Amino acid sequence: MKALMSLGALVGVLGLLLLGGMIFDVVPSNTVRLVEGYMPMQMLIEVGCYVAGFAGLSYMLSAMGMPMPRFWQGIGFWLFFMLYLKFRVYPPIPFSVRAMYGTVSMVAVFMWISASEEDWKKFKQPIMNVLDAQTGMNKMMRYLYLVLIPILVGGFSYNAMVPKSEEPVELRTVHPAPPASTKVHGKTYVLQTSQSPYRVNPEGKYDQEYSNANIVEQGMGRLMKPNANPWDDKNQGYLKYVKEGGEIFFQNCHFCHGDNLNGRGLHAFAFNPIPANFTDPGTIAQLQETFIFWRVSKGGIGLPNEGFPWASVMPPWEQHLTVDEIWKVILFEYWHTGYYPRTWD
Amino acid sequence: MMNSVTRKAGIGAVTAFGVILIATNAGIVFAQGGLPEGFKKGELAAEPSAEMIEAGKRVYFTKCVWCHGVDGAGDGPGADRLWPRPRNFNQGTFKIRHTASGELPLFDAKKPVAGQNDLFETVTHGLPGSAMPPWEGILSEEQRLQVLSFVTTQLVKDRKFTDKQSETQTILQLAELKPKAASEESKKRGAELIVEKKCVECHGMEGRGDGNAFNLKDDWGFSIQPANWHKCWNFRGSRQDPYNVANIFRTFSTGVNGTPMPSFADNTSVDERWDIANFVNSLCERDAEGKPLPIDPLSDKPKINFVIPSDPVEGDIPADIEHEAWQKAPKRYVAMGGQITHKPRNFVNRIDDIWVRSLYNDKHIVYLLEWDDRTKSVAEGKLPWAPTQVNIDIKEQEPKTGEEGSIAANQNKYEVYNDAIAIETAVKWKELPSPIKPRYLFGTNEQFPVDIVKWEADGSVRAFLGTGWDKDFVERDTYEENLKVLKGEWKNGRWYVMIQRPVGNKKDQDYDEDTFFEVGQYIPTVFFAWDGHNGDAGRKMAVSAFYYTFMNPPIPQETYIYPVVIAFGVVLLEGWILTRRANRKKGKTL
Repeated sequence: MKALMSLGALVGVLGLLLLGGMIFDVVPSNTVRLVEGYMPMQMLIEVGCYVAGFAGLSYMLSAMGMPMPRFWQGIGFWLFFMLYLKFRVYPPIPFSVRAMYGTVSMVAVFMWISASEEDWKKFKQPIMNVLDAQTGMNKMMRYLYLVLIPILVGGFSYNAMVPKSEEPVELRTVHPAPPASTKVHGKTYVLQTSQSPYRVNPEGKYDQEYSNANIVEQGMGRLMKPNANPWDDKNQGYLKYVKEGGEIFFQNCHFCHGDNLNGRGLHAFAFNPIPANFTDPGTIAQLQETFIFWRVSKGGIGLPNEGFPWASVMPPWEQHLTVDEIWKVILFEYWHTGYYPRTWD
Repeated sequence: MMNSVTRKAGIGAVTAFGVILIATNAGIVFAQGGLPEGFKKGELAAEPSAEMIEAGKRVYFTKCVWCHGVDGAGDGPGADRLWPRPRNFNQGTFKIRHTASGELPLFDAKKPVAGQNDLFETVTHGLPGSAMPPWEGILSEEQRLQVLSFVTTQLVKDRKFTDKQSETQTILQLAELKPKAASEESKKRGAELIVEKKCVECHGMEGRGDGNAFNLKDDWGFSIQPANWHKCWNFRGSRQDPYNVANIFRTFSTGVNGTPMPSFADNTSVDERWDIANFVNSLCERDAEGKPLPIDPLSDKPKINFVIPSDPVEGDIPADIEHEAWQKAPKRYVAMGGQITHKPRNFVNRIDDIWVRSLYNDKHIVYLLEWDDRTKSVAEGKLPWAPTQVNIDIKEQEPKTGEEGSIAANQNKYEVYNDAIAIETAVKWKELPSPIKPRYLFGTNEQFPVDIVKWEADGSVRAFLGTGWDKDFVERDTYEENLKVLKGEWKNGRWYVMIQRPVGNKKDQDYDEDTFFEVGQYIPTVFFAWDGHNGDAGRKMAVSAFYYTFMNPPIPQETYIYPVVIAFGVVLLEGWILTRRANRKKGKTL
């Protein structure tokens, strides 16, 4: 038990030092990066480490005869969590969302400290002591609070009422429901039944297994399979079309969606929100190929009414590309990110 | 035919210039009998292992080939629509180095150390201002070294990184040279030196890159522009640390290979170089308190605030930028991207940001727009298409044209049109569904149009109506008399334009076509910019995202009253709690 707790304390303290160092620029602020796509898991693990750390710390402190009051443990952890959300997570979360997390974590902290009657009493004790003001110290604190709380509340409400020009929060529908069919270059495509004409094996047959076997490997760098180079002149079928799709991508799409398909292209910084990041598991990886076909063909303007605020300047690519080119570029996007399109079944 | 002749002449001139430069440099080195100050002789790194090279090939053909091409000649599928063009590796000419002018950059496949491995740092941090992104976080350290092993051994064809006969390494000892404090005195000396060393001839009197901007070519014959010192986040060698003076010191000491930027190592002392670097660094845009702008790690550009506050003034709005009201007005950075959604598309926008301030009174609102543009352009030719037209049927820049036909080769050969700027605001923005924004950049539809006010470098100011994503703009002749240009001046590579328009009201004006500016509300606003020397006209332009104009209201009285009332309420509450507690205790003890 003791060893376990010490280990927890060690992990927690190291994590805290690292976090503090990154916030105050003692060590480079990108020492431990939040990796896109894995961020929620990473955050859960980090917070888990800190919980272990705090538990270990308080255990060690009480073992050394300097127990920390429950009262301060509860408040301390809650404050820590709020600061973590504010300073660690990037891009920053809007205040309203942080407030939601704050409330939830406060409830959690309350549940923890009121788990047993004794704990709850211990937690309440400091508050009661100040209210009762039996000692001189507590008396002083009571008067201090009496004066400070109204001033603080008044200040906060003034702050809230002063006209401010903060950017209004925009929530948007990222993947609106697609229509049943879409008409591109005069031909109707039923989204449920259409297939990419280029997801084919060397014999020219539609073959998802074959194409899935030749996409880039997941894992750091997302590199192509050693024996599946789209630039090999001998390629037939899928890989040949991947290369053709890549050419179209790097002549039209990379300006916004970026050289690594992560939405950080040359012009991306000018737009709000920045263009879609295809390497994120939340975009093309969870959509059907025909959904992408519809979005690419119709662009931001083709979004349905419920898709507001339509914050997209993506052009309807049917204006610039042929149907074949659109299918090929989609093929390339899946190849390059190493994802499979979702299937209907 | 004509073109290719002038191009060849250009290459010839550059080569001759380079030869003279190298010759004079060599002369000085011999005369001193040593190395330039701050440099030391270094050893060539060992050849990377065959496994590294083979592994690097796999990285190259997944990530790099799309721009740099199969043979590394900078001619991949993406190349012809880019400017600057992707690097042609074949000649072994690399821009950002710690090595003396003309030498190969530092690269050691076993030493990924900052300051000792130039190519590794370039791949890690990317080259801002070009399409080369930072690969850190995408490729592992190992993978970055692997791909560089492949590039330096297989794709650099004219030189060899390990050939002791032909290659030397004279390395700038940047880690050992302590930066000089950026005192006023040092900056003043730097300001004098940049005139003395003729930096201003290319970089311009204010350092906005506007001197001699159209006669410069790189080694491959593509036009190239001098850096704008006010946008340090676009410095190729900024290494994601744009306000670091050491980067400027390094570039100034080593020069930029393949470009007209020479190394100044031989004719300046280290001390002088720090003075110059301090001065150049001090020019980079800073906030009102003189602190570096916060940089967004997602884009490596200044962080964007999408609200453009407008402060109230009593009486007339001053037309003088030095006026106190303008000096106090908050300044916003507005990022601009190329309009690449409709024909004619603008793949290469030369205006990548503008700075906006705003003031209003009871009748008018004024926008002060400042942006860097290396050339003042007033139309010489007739527009090829009406400025209002969209989706016009033109032959676009073919994506695959080879070097000759690429965008990079044809820079500076455009017919010159007017520089221009426009402010677009939504009409009837209050009725747009929440959150208020038109559906598209050029308006939602006839019911929810946008109101566009456009100023051009010939001094004209015009109004248009935009009614949809693929609709031509409609010119509004009757509205123009309401608009006024308070200022329109181009000075040393920067435009200063002040446009005044009515805030409007429902009573006197057309509700369906005019934007009404209401105090304390978020009014969707977009900016368009045109660079006449880039052939920008009509929809070939730079665009911003949606911003919000917010007219700061005077503080209402309630703001002072309610908090006092609330605080008093809290005092009462406290009294109640204390009394209750006291009573309860009494009850217990009794």
